[in-house]
Amino acid sequence: METKILLEEDEIPKRWYNVLADLPSPMDPPLHPQTQKPVAPEDLSAIFPMDLIRQEMSPDRFIDIPAEVRDVLTLWRPSPLYRAKRLEQFLKTPAKIYYKWEGVSPAGSHKPNTAVPQAYYNMKAGIERIATETGAGQWGSALAFATMLYDLKCTIYMVRSSYSQKPYRKSMMQVWGAECIPSPSTKTRSGKAVLEKDPDTPGSLGIAISEAVEDAAAHSDTNYSLGSVLNHVCLHQTVIGLECRRQLEMVDDYPDVVIGCVGGGSNFAGISFPFAGDKMTGKHRETDIIGVEPASCPSLTKGLYAYDYGDVAGLTPLLKMFTLGHDFVPPSIHAGGLRYHGDSPIVSKLVRDGVMRAVAYHQNEVFEAAQTFARTEGIIVAPETSHAMKAAIDQALECRKTGNAKTILFNCSGHGNFDMTAYDDFHAKKLVDYEYPDELIRQSLARLPKIR
Amino acid sequence: MRRVGFVVNPVAGLGGTVGLKGSDGVAAEARERGAIPRSGERALAMVRKVHATDILFLTCSGAMGEEVLKNAAARFCTVFYHPAAVTTADDTLAACKKFLEEQAELIVFCGGDGTARDVFDAVGAKIPVLGIPAGVKMYSGVFAISPEAAAAVVDMTGSLDTRDAEILDVDEVAYRSGSLSTHLYGIARVPILNTRVQLPKHVIEEQDEERAKDAIAGFISEVLLPDTLYIVGAGTTTGHIARHLGLKKTLLGVDVIENGRLIATDADERTLLKLLDRKTEAKIIVSPIGAQGFLFGRGTQQISSAVIRRVGVDNIIVVATPAKCRATPLLHVDTGDPSLDARFPGSMQVISGYRIARRIEIGR
Repeated sequence: METKILLEEDEIPKRWYNVLADLPSPMDPPLHPQTQKPVAPEDLSAIFPMDLIRQEMSPDRFIDIPAEVRDVLTLWRPSPLYRAKRLEQFLKTPAKIYYKWEGVSPAGSHKPNTAVPQAYYNMKAGIERIATETGAGQWGSALAFATMLYDLKCTIYMVRSSYSQKPYRKSMMQVWGAECIPSPSTKTRSGKAVLEKDPDTPGSLGIAISEAVEDAAAHSDTNYSLGSVLNHVCLHQTVIGLECRRQLEMVDDYPDVVIGCVGGGSNFAGISFPFAGDKMTGKHRETDIIGVEPASCPSLTKGLYAYDYGDVAGLTPLLKMFTLGHDFVPPSIHAGGLRYHGDSPIVSKLVRDGVMRAVAYHQNEVFEAAQTFARTEGIIVAPETSHAMKAAIDQALECRKTGNAKTILFNCSGHGNFDMTAYDDFHAKKLVDYEYPDELIRQSLARLPKIR
Repeated sequence: MRRVGFVVNPVAGLGGTVGLKGSDGVAAEARERGAIPRSGERALAMVRKVHATDILFLTCSGAMGEEVLKNAAARFCTVFYHPAAVTTADDTLAACKKFLEEQAELIVFCGGDGTARDVFDAVGAKIPVLGIPAGVKMYSGVFAISPEAAAAVVDMTGSLDTRDAEILDVDEVAYRSGSLSTHLYGIARVPILNTRVQLPKHVIEEQDEERAKDAIAGFISEVLLPDTLYIVGAGTTTGHIARHLGLKKTLLGVDVIENGRLIATDADERTLLKLLDRKTEAKIIVSPIGAQGFLFGRGTQQISSAVIRRVGVDNIIVVATPAKCRATPLLHVDTGDPSLDARFPGSMQVISGYRIARRIEIGR
C-alpha cells in the first residue's frame, strides 16, 4: 500500500470545474447593495477584472486554466494525496482515510490556487495594485506571493487580532513585497467608523473586507481580490478535488465521505465540488459531503439562509447565503480563517439543498484531533484545518463501531507552523470553548437587510 | 511608593481546626480547645513572596500585621493603627478605614468570610481588596488561590484591572448547627491577575470588565421576549442588563422584568412564586456568585428550588464576564433539593459577550 499517491506535473488539471453547470436549480443572484437589483457585470468592474467577472457568472461546466497559470502551479502542484495509514492504525478503524496535502504550496495552504489566477487576470487587465483582506494571514501571504510573480503591488488589510497573534504571516507578506496594515485602520472611512465606535476592537474579516473594497473602489489603478466566498474563488480551488478524484482512481477508490473545514468555504468547495457534481449528476449519489465549522461561528449549522452583505460596512453585493448577520464579530478563536459571518453562496445552496451537510466543533476538541494527527502522521496542521481533521477522525471512529470500511477523504488545507502559540494555549488549557448562543438569538437575525 | 493596606485577623481559622466551623465570638473557646492560630503563617508566606521593592505596607501593630511584616523582613511598613489587646472585628474595620484615608491602592487581608465582610464594611468598592485564604469559611469571591498568588498581585499593585467579587455573609450560628445559610452581603472589587498581560497584545476576548458587561447587556436586551417574566439575580453584570433597558435594578436583590418594565424589586421567594402563578412564560437570568461559582444556593435564597422548578431548568440564562469565567472553572448548583440539582445538565452555556457564549461544566 502506497503512502503517497502522486501525479505527474502534466497531470495538473487543464480546466477548472464549474459546479454551477450541474445545479438542479439556478442560484439566487447577487444583488446590488444600493438598488437591490441583480448585479450586472459592469457593477463589479470597478473592483474586478472582466475575466474574473465572467468566471463569476459563467454557466460553462469547464473553464480553461491559462497555460501561464498552470506553469506557476507546477511550483507545488499536483499536491500529494496521502493514505493516513498510521492514523488508521492508531484509531483501529476499518475505514480508509485519505488526505489531500495542500500545505506544500509556498504560502503553506490551498490559498495560492486562486491567488495566482486572480493576480494573473488582474495583470492582464493592466491593473497595478491589488487590495485585499486577510484573517489569519493565509490569504494575505498567498496573494503577496502571487502578486509578486506578476509585478503587481499589494495592500493587505489584516484582521487586527491576527496581526498581533501571527507576526510571521506579516513577515512573509513583507518578504514577498506586500504592504500589510492592521484592520480596522485609519486609512479608510469604514475603518475609521469602526475605530470611532470601538477603538479596542479585535477586528473581523467583515471589517477588513470593507476596508479593502473601499480602497479598491477609490483608486482606478487598484482592484480588489477576495480569498474565499465568491464563485470564481471556489472555481479556482476545484483543482484540489479534481486531482483527488484522479489520484483515488489510481488506487481504484472513490470517497464515501468528503470533508473540509469552512470559513468562507473555498477549501471545502475545492475538495468537494467535483464530488458534489458526481452526486448531482447521478454518478455517485451516496457521497456524504461534510463542511466543518467552529461552534463559535457556526453559519452553516446555526445561521439563517438569507440575503446579507459580505462585509460589515455593507459595500459588497448582497449574497444569498447562510449568515449570522454581517455585523457579527466572532470571538477571536485561533482558527482566525474560519471567523466569517457568512459562507460561499454555492456552498450555502448545496447545504440548503441537502447535497452537502455541516457540523460544528469546539476549539479544544479540534486541537485534540490535530495533536492526534501530528502524533500519527507527523504534520502539524493549521487550526482551521484541524476542524476537518476532527470530523474525519469522528467518521473513522464511527466506522470502528459499525465495522463499516468507508473511504474518507479530507482536505488537509494548510500547515500550522506559524500557529504554535495556539498549540501552546491548548496545552496550557487556556483555550476557551466559545459557542454561539443560537437558542437566544433567532430574533436578533431580524436585523438582516429586508429583501423579499 | 505604592501603598498597600495589610491586615491580619489573628484568630481567623481558629474555630475550624477544633470543629467550631468559624471563629466569630468563639475565639476564646477555640483556644481552650487547643486551637493554634494559622493566619499569621499564611500571611507570612504571602509577604515573603512579594518581590517588588517599592511597596509600602500600611498596617496595624502587633499580631494584626506588624509582627508578620517584621518576621518577613518587609522592606517598608508603617503602622497606622493600634488595636485593642484582644482584637475584634471592629479593629479590622477601623484599620481598613485608616488605610483608605492614607491612600492605600489595595488592601490585602488574611482571614475568612467574616474578615472579608469587615474589610468590605470599611472600604466597599472604593479600592480593590484581596484575601489571603486563612478562614474556616471562604465562600466570598475575594480570595486568592494561595498566599503566592496573592503576592503576585501585590507585586503588580496599581497596574491590574479589577473585577467584581461577591462578599457572602454566612450565618455562623446556623452553620454550626449544620445548615448553610448565606446571603449576598455586598460586591467588592478584586484585582485580576491575567497571565496574558505579558504577551504582545494577544487579544483573545474582551478584557475590560465594563465593556464586557455592556456587550453582555447589549446582547441580552436584544433577545428578551415579550410577555415573559425575567427573574434577574443580583450583581453588576445583571445590573448592566437592567441599565441597558433604562431600568434601575437593586444591586444585591432579585428583581423582575416584564415587557421592558421593572415589576418587582428585591423580590423574595413568595413574591416570585406569586408572579409565577399568573405567568407561565418565565426565565431566570443569573451570574455565578462567589468563589466557587454558585449559580444557586449561595447568596440567592430568593430563587429557591420551588422557583427554579416553576421556571424550568431549560429557562435559565447564565451571564458572566470573561474575567469572571476565568475565575470560575466550574459552576455549582446547590438548590437544597438534590433531585432538582440532578436535573441540571453537565454543562451550561454562559453568555460572556455580544452573541458570544462559552460552555462551563457544572461540578458535581
